Amino acid sequence: MKDRFASFHPLVNFVYFASILVFSMVFMHPVLQAASLTSAVVYSIMLNGKKAVKFNLLYMLPLLLVAAVLNPVFNHAGVTILFYLKNGNPITLESILYGISAACMYVTVIVWFSCYNAVMTSDKFIYLFGKIMPALSLIFSMVLRFVPRYLAQIKVISNAQKCIGRDVTQGNLLARARNGMTILSIMTTWALENAIETADSMKSRGYGLPGRTSFSLFRFDARDQSVMLVLIGLIALVLFGALMGENTIRFFPSVKWLAVTPRSIAVYIAYFGLCMVPVIINVVEDMKWKRIESRI
Amino acid sequence: METYRIEDLVFSFPGQERETLSHINLTIASGEFITLCGKSGCGKSTLLRQLKTILTPHGERSGRIYFCGQPIEDMDQRTQASEIGFVLQNPDNQIVTDKVWHELAFGLESLGYDNATIRLRVAEMASFFGIHTWFHKSVTELSGGQKQLLNLASIMAMHPSVLILDEPTSQLDPIAASDFLETVKKINRELGTTIIMTEHRLEDILPLSDRLIVMEAGAIIAQGLPNQVGASLGDKKHPMFLSMPSPMQIQARVSAEPIAPITVKEGRQWLNAFLADKTAAPMPEGKENSKASAPAVIQFKDVWFKYEKNGTDIIKDLSFEVREGQFYCIVGGNGTGKSTTLSLISGLLQPYRGKILIGGKNPAKISAKELFTRNIGFLPQNPQSLFVKKTVELDLHEMLAQTPLSKEEKAEKIRSIVKFAELEHLLAMHPYDLSGGEQQRAALAKVLLLEPRVLLLDEPTKGLDSFFKEKLAVFLQKLNESGVTIVMVSHDVEFCAKYGELCSMFFDGSIITTNETRKFFAGNSFYTTAANRMARHIWTEGVTIEGVIELCLRSK
Repeated sequence: MKDRFASFHPLVNFVYFASILVFSMVFMHPVLQAASLTSAVVYSIMLNGKKAVKFNLLYMLPLLLVAAVLNPVFNHAGVTILFYLKNGNPITLESILYGISAACMYVTVIVWFSCYNAVMTSDKFIYLFGKIMPALSLIFSMVLRFVPRYLAQIKVISNAQKCIGRDVTQGNLLARARNGMTILSIMTTWALENAIETADSMKSRGYGLPGRTSFSLFRFDARDQSVMLVLIGLIALVLFGALMGENTIRFFPSVKWLAVTPRSIAVYIAYFGLCMVPVIINVVEDMKWKRIESRI
Repeated sequence: METYRIEDLVFSFPGQERETLSHINLTIASGEFITLCGKSGCGKSTLLRQLKTILTPHGERSGRIYFCGQPIEDMDQRTQASEIGFVLQNPDNQIVTDKVWHELAFGLESLGYDNATIRLRVAEMASFFGIHTWFHKSVTELSGGQKQLLNLASIMAMHPSVLILDEPTSQLDPIAASDFLETVKKINRELGTTIIMTEHRLEDILPLSDRLIVMEAGAIIAQGLPNQVGASLGDKKHPMFLSMPSPMQIQARVSAEPIAPITVKEGRQWLNAFLADKTAAPMPEGKENSKASAPAVIQFKDVWFKYEKNGTDIIKDLSFEVREGQFYCIVGGNGTGKSTTLSLISGLLQPYRGKILIGGKNPAKISAKELFTRNIGFLPQNPQSLFVKKTVELDLHEMLAQTPLSKEEKAEKIRSIVKFAELEHLLAMHPYDLSGGEQQRAALAKVLLLEPRVLLLDEPTKGLDSFFKEKLAVFLQKLNESGVTIVMVSHDVEFCAKYGELCSMFFDGSIITTNETRKFFAGNSFYTTAANRMARHIWTEGVTIEGVIELCLRSK
């Protein structure tokens, strides 16, 4: 399915992912962790479908289990001793809980990154950083243009050399090395020679004049504004919670977190809401569309 | 109003005595469509580059150039960048960014327009050029024709008042080239933009031009309406006349009237009038093909090929044979699998079904040494990819470095090849500094050092002017006479018709029809030479210019 959240302005996408990634790494509170992990998994399945289910079950679940088991084997801090290992080291409840929590955090961040990759395409990234440094965005764009082009040209040269028996796949080891060097040397000559025309084309279109601007297809519209406001509001609430110590948990020497109060429940809800923003947008848009479709 | 006024322009490159441009005087009116032609190296490109100072090469210059009444040196770079659009030869080299929309905006970004203005201009241009359907694509996904159209559009987005094009279609196939020229014509007609263009492919462009300018050795030798210039060149029997459209060449050699038909339509009308009171001469009997019984050197039996497991089939059920000593041409549209077929012959690719036999053996199974020495020679489409050394001479020596010949034998071999390909005066030059035709010859010499019995050529005439084509044809015919089998893939119908012995039409991954060249083109009504299209209602088998001229002269 087509992701609606990805169609928002890159700034909205970026603020969302930056905050979510940082929060998921920093806040170890079990309720927040659960919220973040669930949303990450739901959103990744929404984005990548079957592939995401497979990825989550096949790689993320074992990773989570292994990390959760490995921590208590090596970490023996904590006051609640469950039993002793053969070599005399204790296994503690705290280290098991910490292992699970750390593994959860690790997996959550990886799943979020898989979502990030699907939503933040290279042109969005270039656009955002081009705002800060216009020259940089052009360089990015040129790299994306010339790397595939050079790779294709190496293939052409290699094929041409193959037909006179001079490719890297032909002859003995020494000949292969020599042929490889020759191909690279032709490639360099070719690239420099052709770059002259590229430079002419750039100069002839006024490159180098002062006051260059950076054009993009993105527009920050009302829809982006409202979602941005919601995001900022939720982030502020979560940060307020962090300030009050609601979002953290102490594992060693004993597990301890703040008691659940209406304030903490509000923070939990805000955090869950923040994590679910793309999912909510997708669901709402989907429902809207179905309603419109049924009326046609 | 005038766009350019050039007064007594003389230019020579640093360290060279010879004047590359000598005493050029030219006035170009606003809205004119000007075509500039001449042999390679006659100074066309140098002249065009004088018209935009940022592209002007270093050298001695005298004389004055005025742009809209103002000396061009006094114009600032910003005005020049937007007012004077310049399209270069190679479509790939001119593209700077990775996305179509970004490329369209590149010039406007440089000029410092704000987002809203750029958005409007880009949208306008995309609609005008029909780019909106591939607006969001990566530039790597585009075909050559689309790339060149994109280059044109990205320049037009800056709203230039004059558009200069330096052989813009030389790297395109005929269909893409005529599309491109149509667009240029549309720009000229609908926007009133002045067009100054150099071009080898005069058949398509002369009907559009207001003025044809012919250059030779840095000087303008003729200018005026295309048919007047054509007629005067024909009178003088000037070598440039060979680049003129076929109908013009036929008419000038048959009758002395100064009509000079440019298009096939005009040619036909003239031919009908010419033959009104005559009886058309009968076609001479074609000579029988004597090589049909020679042993086959290349055999394809039900060959299928695809690049990826789930990809589409590029070659479908292809069967054909090339016999020893034949000059075999394969023509057909872009992306039909012609070049892939050559790669299959040379063993670069392997079919997933069917059999390929080269001299009775499977090319994928024999060693590279056996396949490519005294057996198959492959001249790739871009000869630049063959050169490895600093000079042509070193490059030729490198080819023999791994053979067990003595020094004298090598030198002797190279001497004879150099003489054959007429490279004597180019030996000390860097291969990349040669012109297109010279590069082609140097690359051919390199391949010939391996003494191939079968020569595979991929678009050898691409980007060559008619003189170099003629020269290349002479070499190929000499080789063919000495017993080398030639297989050529080409878009150049005229070239194949003139020199080929057998022709095949490639379509949708397979050969549709194969025939002796004359019969082959006689059987096509659209995919055939201009001479044939002009005369086919009288002589279906009149395929080449020479053939039709002879038939006309014999009609009484």
